[in-house]
Parts: sequence; structure tokens; C-alpha cells
Amino acid sequence: MRPTPAALRRSARAHFTDPTKRRGLLVAFEGPDGSGKTTQRKLFKTWLKSEGYDVVTTKWNSSDLIKPIIKSRKAVRALSPEEFSLLHGADFRHRVEQVILPALWEGKLVIADRFLFTGLARDVARGLDLDWVLKLYEPLLWPDLVFYFAVSPVTSGKRVTAMRMPNFYEAGQDVTQVDDPVESYQRFIARVIREYESLALIFNMITVDAEQSIGDQHRQIRQLFIEGQQRAWSDWNADAVAEWLATKGNGTER
Amino acid sequence: MTKARPRAAKARLIAVDGVDPAAVLAEARAALGSPARGGISKWDASGVFQELAVADREAGAPSPRTLLLLYAADLAFRLRWQIRPALSEGRTVVAAPYVDTAIAFGRAAGLKPAWLTNLFRFAPPAKERRVVHARAAGVKDGFVGFSSDRMTAGAAGRTRRRIVDETAAQLRHRFDRRD
Repeated sequence: MRPTPAALRRSARAHFTDPTKRRGLLVAFEGPDGSGKTTQRKLFKTWLKSEGYDVVTTKWNSSDLIKPIIKSRKAVRALSPEEFSLLHGADFRHRVEQVILPALWEGKLVIADRFLFTGLARDVARGLDLDWVLKLYEPLLWPDLVFYFAVSPVTSGKRVTAMRMPNFYEAGQDVTQVDDPVESYQRFIARVIREYESLALIFNMITVDAEQSIGDQHRQIRQLFIEGQQRAWSDWNADAVAEWLATKGNGTER
Repeated sequence: MTKARPRAAKARLIAVDGVDPAAVLAEARAALGSPARGGISKWDASGVFQELAVADREAGAPSPRTLLLLYAADLAFRLRWQIRPALSEGRTVVAAPYVDTAIAFGRAAGLKPAWLTNLFRFAPPAKERRVVHARAAGVKDGFVGFSSDRMTAGAAGRTRRRIVDETAAQLRHRFDRRD
């Protein structure tokens, strides 16, 4: 007999609030390109491992199943804002089910280099409705901690263009209609950062001043993590875990 | 003197839904009548599912929710390249399938109606909706057959056949309620 959704939610709660076990933790690093979050994520991971944590990393747009589909469409610049949003939503969902929840269930610490807030900020900057996009990501899985790496559009632009030319979608050329990738990036990232700043307030992210030195940021993150890891498991996550429990394990019988 | 644009008045979006792709296509052809009136927009015009079909097993099986996000992405492609351009030229487009098949599949897999309704909010309503209840034994092709074959259990313990049957029942329910 199939367990009911209510029974699955109870299982989720019982598992993640069991005081005898170290529960899985989800920490998200968010911010615009050029904010230095990948550098901080790597430093943070090294430190966590030295502290005895079993760490799993997941990156934006990285699922083995959906990433090739997105990549081939980006290469020919064939994505509308809706398709861009929906395909990234599919990639995210697949990683939640295949990588993030299995690791959390096993008590691991998951670092997400970008989380659903990246989808929200970029999609809204492309003109899509926040409510529509947010609901695509339901049932929502809330991280235990979200670090938002705040930089100005100018700093982001300088850091990104110093290393490479932004690609078509990164520069938002699909929506700015500006031919010069650098100029387009500058306009688009200003919109993305505006959305991020709203989201950081709405979703109570921890803002890190990413214009500080790398060492200062890292020390701040360690400290904030030590304080924040004691937070109770969010019951908002019960639906997401219950749905995953319903699907995991059994392939469809033939 | 301003010339009238008679063709614009004929623009018409007809949705044909059902679990059996062969029966849906036959109904779509009947709904279109003469090919000169317009065309038929079919599932997976964007090739998303074709790519999914050749993905490595190690990539993991998609859940019903992931499959529906991909269906919506494919539908957004069809709207952009097939449906809206034809409608703007005053032609008839038969979308076969459209949103009802996907919503019925999602309901059969246990997803909430509010999420499904939101997902397809970008799709304009069809002027006419038809459903095909016919179903060949062991539906293999089309969105429902493809998804039932490849997805994770979705609603654990449900057999493939049961997912197809429940999708057909959900479609019947949606159209009965409308009538």
C-alpha cells in the first residue's frame, strides 16, 4: 500500500529532527557573477572537511540529465525567457531529487553554488513574473543558511570582463538587444543585482560584503556558519522531502 | 481605402488531448480539415524528449515534476515557433497535445492542481478543446507513454499501466466537468 503524503511528511520530520543523529545541512552561496562566491565556496568546503563534515557540492545547471539539453540550446541562442526558466527549473528539480535530498538524508552537508534564487533573479531580470517563477520551484526546499555575496554592478562587470568575454545569455543579450556583450552585461547585471537585493531581504539571506578581502569574507562565513548551524530544521521542507520519499527507490513497475 | 484582413478573423487555436498519440493525431487532422487552413503542432517539436531518450541511465530517471517542466519548455518552444506565428497569420493551429494531457498526467502522478495550473499559465487558452478517449493497448509513444516508461515511480507503487489509465481517467474527468 502506498504511504499517504501525510505519513511521508511525518517520516521526513522524524528523520530530520532526530536528536540522536547529526542532521543534513544545506548551505547556499548566492550572488551575481564576479562576486567571488566560488572562491569562498572552495575555502569553506576545505575548512568544513577539516572539521569532519562530509561535504557534497552542487552547482547551478549541472545535472547530467538536463545540462546537455540546455547547453545545446544556449549554443545556438535558441532560448526564450520562458524556455530558459523552465529548463533551469527542470535541472534544479533533478538535482534536488538526485543529489541534494539523498545527501541531506544521509546526514551530509550540501553546499549549493547558486540555488533557486539564481533562477528567480535572472528570470525576473528577463521580465518574467516572480510569482510564476517561484511556483515553478515548488515544493520549495529552503536552505539552512543562504549567504548572499553582495557586489555593485560595476565591480561585477570589472571582475567578469577582466577574465573573459561574457557569453550571450550571461550578458543578457537575449533581452537587452545590445550587440556589445560587455555593455549588455553591465545593463543586465544591474537588473539581476536589483532582483537579488530584493530577494535577500524577502528571504532573509545573510549578506556578505563581497568587496572585502577574501580572508575577511572567509572568517565571517565560518563565524556565521558556526552560529547558524544550530537552527532547527525548517518544517517548510516537509513537502519537498515527502515528494522525494514517494519517488525514491522504486522504479515504475511494468 | 483600407483593405480588410479577412485571414486574421480565421485565426483559431484548437487543442486536441489524449493519451494515445495516434488517435490524437487522427483527431487533429479531422479538426484541421484542409491542410491549407493551417497546421498541427505536435509534442516534442523542440527535441527535448528526443535528447532525454538518449541520455545515460547514470544521469538518473526524471520525476513526473521534472518531466512536466520539460513538457512546458517544449510547449513554450511550440508557441514561439509554430503556434503564435501561425495564429498571427490568421491560420488555424491544432495543438495535439496541448495542456490538458500534461495536467492529467500530473494529476495521475499525484501533483497538486495549483502547481499544474501555474505551470501552464503562459499558454493561451484554446478556442476549442477536444479530447480523444480512445486508447491503444500499451501506449508507448507520445508524452504519456514516454514519461510512464522513463520516470521514477512518481507515485510509488503505481504501475506504468496504472499511470496511463489514471491519466486517461483524469482527462475524462476534466472534460466531463467542463461539459
